[in-house]
Amino acid sequence: MTHTLEELLAGWITHQRWFAGKGRAITELAVEVTTPLALRGPAESLHSDVAGSSRTTDASARTHAEEQILLRHLIITVRQDSHTDRYQLLLGFRPRLPQRLQHVAIGETPDGFAYDAVHDADVTGVLLSSIAKDADLGGLRFRHMPGTQIDTSPRSLVLGGEQSNTSLVFGDAYICKLFRKIIPGVNPELEVVSALAERGSPNIARPYGWIEADVDGQNTTLAFTQEFLPTASDGWALALTSVRDLYGSLPGTTAADAGGDFAAESHRLGVATAHLHKELAAAFPTNTVEAPEVKRMVEGFRRRLEAAIGEVPPLAEHAGVAHETFDRLADIRRPIIVQRVHGDYHLGQVMRTPSEWVVLDFEGEPGQPLHERRALDSPLRDVAGMLRSFDYAARHLLSDHPDAEALEQRAAQWAQRNRAAFIAGYSAGGGRIHGDDAVLLRALELSKAAYEVEYESRNRPTWLPIPLSAFRNAVS
Amino acid sequence: MSLTPQPVPNTFTHEKPRDPYWYKRAVFYEVLIRGFADSNGDGTGDIRGLINKLDYLQWLGVDCLWLLPLYESPLKDGGYDISDFMKILPDFGDLGDFIKLVDEAHKRGMRVIADLVMNHTSDQHPWFQASRHDPTGPFGDFYVWSQDGEQYKDARIIFIDTETSNWTYDPVRGEYYWHRFFHHQPDLNYENPAVQEAMLEVLRFWLDLGIDGFRMDAIPYLFEQEGTNCENLPQTHAYLKSVRKEVDRLYPDRVLLAEANQWPADVVEYFGDTVSGGDECHMAFHFPLMPRIFMAVRRETRYPISEIMAQTPKIPENCQWGIFLRNHDELTLEMVTDEERDYMYTEYAKDPRMRANVGIRRRLAPLLENDRNQIELFTALLMSLPGSPVLYYGDEIGMGDNIWLGDRDGVRTPMQWTPDRNAGFSDCDPGRLYLPVIMDPIYGYQALNVEAQQKNPGSLLHFTKKMIEIRKRHPVFGLGEFTELNSSNPSVLAFVRELGDDRVLCVNNLSRFPQPVELDLRRFEDVTPVECTGGVPFPPIGELPYLLTLPGHGFYWFTLPPTSAAAEET
Repeated sequence: MTHTLEELLAGWITHQRWFAGKGRAITELAVEVTTPLALRGPAESLHSDVAGSSRTTDASARTHAEEQILLRHLIITVRQDSHTDRYQLLLGFRPRLPQRLQHVAIGETPDGFAYDAVHDADVTGVLLSSIAKDADLGGLRFRHMPGTQIDTSPRSLVLGGEQSNTSLVFGDAYICKLFRKIIPGVNPELEVVSALAERGSPNIARPYGWIEADVDGQNTTLAFTQEFLPTASDGWALALTSVRDLYGSLPGTTAADAGGDFAAESHRLGVATAHLHKELAAAFPTNTVEAPEVKRMVEGFRRRLEAAIGEVPPLAEHAGVAHETFDRLADIRRPIIVQRVHGDYHLGQVMRTPSEWVVLDFEGEPGQPLHERRALDSPLRDVAGMLRSFDYAARHLLSDHPDAEALEQRAAQWAQRNRAAFIAGYSAGGGRIHGDDAVLLRALELSKAAYEVEYESRNRPTWLPIPLSAFRNAVS
Repeated sequence: MSLTPQPVPNTFTHEKPRDPYWYKRAVFYEVLIRGFADSNGDGTGDIRGLINKLDYLQWLGVDCLWLLPLYESPLKDGGYDISDFMKILPDFGDLGDFIKLVDEAHKRGMRVIADLVMNHTSDQHPWFQASRHDPTGPFGDFYVWSQDGEQYKDARIIFIDTETSNWTYDPVRGEYYWHRFFHHQPDLNYENPAVQEAMLEVLRFWLDLGIDGFRMDAIPYLFEQEGTNCENLPQTHAYLKSVRKEVDRLYPDRVLLAEANQWPADVVEYFGDTVSGGDECHMAFHFPLMPRIFMAVRRETRYPISEIMAQTPKIPENCQWGIFLRNHDELTLEMVTDEERDYMYTEYAKDPRMRANVGIRRRLAPLLENDRNQIELFTALLMSLPGSPVLYYGDEIGMGDNIWLGDRDGVRTPMQWTPDRNAGFSDCDPGRLYLPVIMDPIYGYQALNVEAQQKNPGSLLHFTKKMIEIRKRHPVFGLGEFTELNSSNPSVLAFVRELGDDRVLCVNNLSRFPQPVELDLRRFEDVTPVECTGGVPFPPIGELPYLLTLPGHGFYWFTLPPTSAAAEET
């Protein structure tokens, strides 16, 4: 028997990693907008690869089948009690579903078998080719960055391991990120990366184009295509390589002596971070935060700390140090300079290419309202985020390590060495950390650690010692 | 150019046309004549001794020998201080021996090139003696003289350990002479046309004797010019182009190999014009690559290598890089940053005696703590990265060094042939040897020698021979494009070498721990990779990332045959 598309989607969407409303029943799912994406126009092939592909053993059979593929872009609303979210989907419909697409089947509809078409490289090329030629399809506007050339021939592959969005990698040239949950407005990532690209920053992946539509009367970014960095790897993997090497070194080897020393990279990353902040300050407005507002910020920090102590009472014995830092911050007289920042900065957001550190994901925290994600903040918030990330890198392999106790000192040494190198690099690159800045940085870091204590206690209790050690080290 | 595997070079008969680009596929072997084999029992290796070992080198798969200087010399700088360009150092033999060497090598399909120092001579050279005694005579202007030694202040001092200035006062002439290296090595004055012609005559002399080319020592320094660092000057390039023209005119298929310890972007200038395929040197050493291989493996990340490969410009079509892991000089650290140099010293030269000038004087095996897996990985990288590999004598058996010997002698000890007296190198009294053989418990000749390793199929020697064989089966290693691949793991360096349908995929684990890697090989969808050493077909490449797991310091070489049918690979 067949179900309505809405019924099928309601069953399917709860299993998608990017679905934000897990664990709550769906009250209603409605299709808000459907935009058919023609695979081929009357006179031309929109996607040359579909027509020209000779990958299968039976090309003619495939061509025949393709003529009956329908591709639709959907914007749906999902209501869970009083809460409503919007999502975008790319759905394919085929009379029969080939083996290679079985794993993304949604179900049988009057239009054929519906499936998640982001996984169908035979049809996804239409996204790239539409961006390349600035197509308008229904309400969808495809746009390319002025001055860029896009090669529309590469086939796509869905990037594994993503949480909130779905990214398609075309060949080894482009990565197209579909923002699954739709928040009306221009996505900060598009906004920031374009502005930095215009300023010639080497620390971002080059933007190529985007897809937008009007949602709730606002121009809203649906997808963003950037240069793919094929030979890059993320800072987290690199840092863990170094930590693993140190753990495996002969007894008595210090972090500085270990062959896998990461400090030079941390220093470079610090320099790149400082450059990025300088560019962000030049590309967007800056402002200052006066003393009364700083006091309000400090109150926020204190509340977060108390909440963490409520969750993990042993934290209380170290709370004194944190409060002392917060007191000192509350006392500072000079205004704090704020600007656009990354907002969710850690080792997993930076990629090492053969020549540079490149920063990704300027989205801010996904799911937060856009005005919050775009709010000005101290650049030291990013610095604090990265410092916390070094702590995590140093210690996260310890959580179930048989020699954890013996290695604890090495972990501390690694973290200390790389944090220092990062800060030195940040200063060398023109980043400002002196006087009151140091107090602010310390406070930001402890506040973040307090949040982590709460989070780990609820979600990953074996990792709890990582943020806790941030408070212990503050004592010594 | 034929792409089928064939001996490099072709046999030296006149019936068959020779491959003029043989050097692009050749495996080079650096020989220290003094240290290779002693035929007359005087404790010093000689040309006849080397001739006796040619069968071994042919067996190993060597295509071209590179001889260190073999000219008459007072030997204050290992023969790089030449006192007569047209005579063989008597310790080594005579011109008759040399002609026989070239002849015997050619019979075995091997070529011979030799070091030639263009930049300077020994202060014992008759030209210099004439120049200092008779400033107005025919040689008065053969060297760079100055009244006050105040010129060219922007030129750096290269041997900072021993020299304080590039000028030295000569009491005989009452003037200062210019020298970029040791003070006993005055620089020739290339502004003087007579010097230019005299050096061309030297080249012609050796080429007429059948030599297949020269490794040209210290060529960035031929000319000087006020207000510059006196390196890589346009005049120097112009002169080298005229040398090349002369070689092409009279001696096709010979090779000029530049020793220019510079950044790749500067070194490419020594290849000359791109449009004509290169009109200066046929080859040049890639100096910065080598320390970065060491750094990458020690740091367990591919970036030091990726970085330098990305910075290496394309070279003219008929040119080739020479790449090496170790040679007779120190592992030079001039082409790395200060921070990287400190790192290399800490990691690879813990004892100050291991350092020399700006570098590390150690052999390959001791640098890698005699770790067989690492030595094999390094050898695989040497054989698969773009360029023609240059092996250093003794490294094929993992020879050790002696850091207690002075200067760079520690890596120039006698070749270890057998467990017999003097390692089979010489039958003289051990005390007469030019340098003592290595005798320590790990690298000593009694355990580590050619004879023992030839008998053991699992030895490093057999491994090296096997890798050379595989390399020679695939011309793509010498001729193909290099493309680094998208690899999910920072410890894994993966790249493809490509030349039409000849494609090789190389995957290297730079970490000592086992590692998985997912490679994006969609470009080769439906291809069945075939492992090169054993011929085992691996699962065909699909649309999803290709998963491989590698043991610590492990590597794979795969051919990527054009169809899914497995090629005959044995």
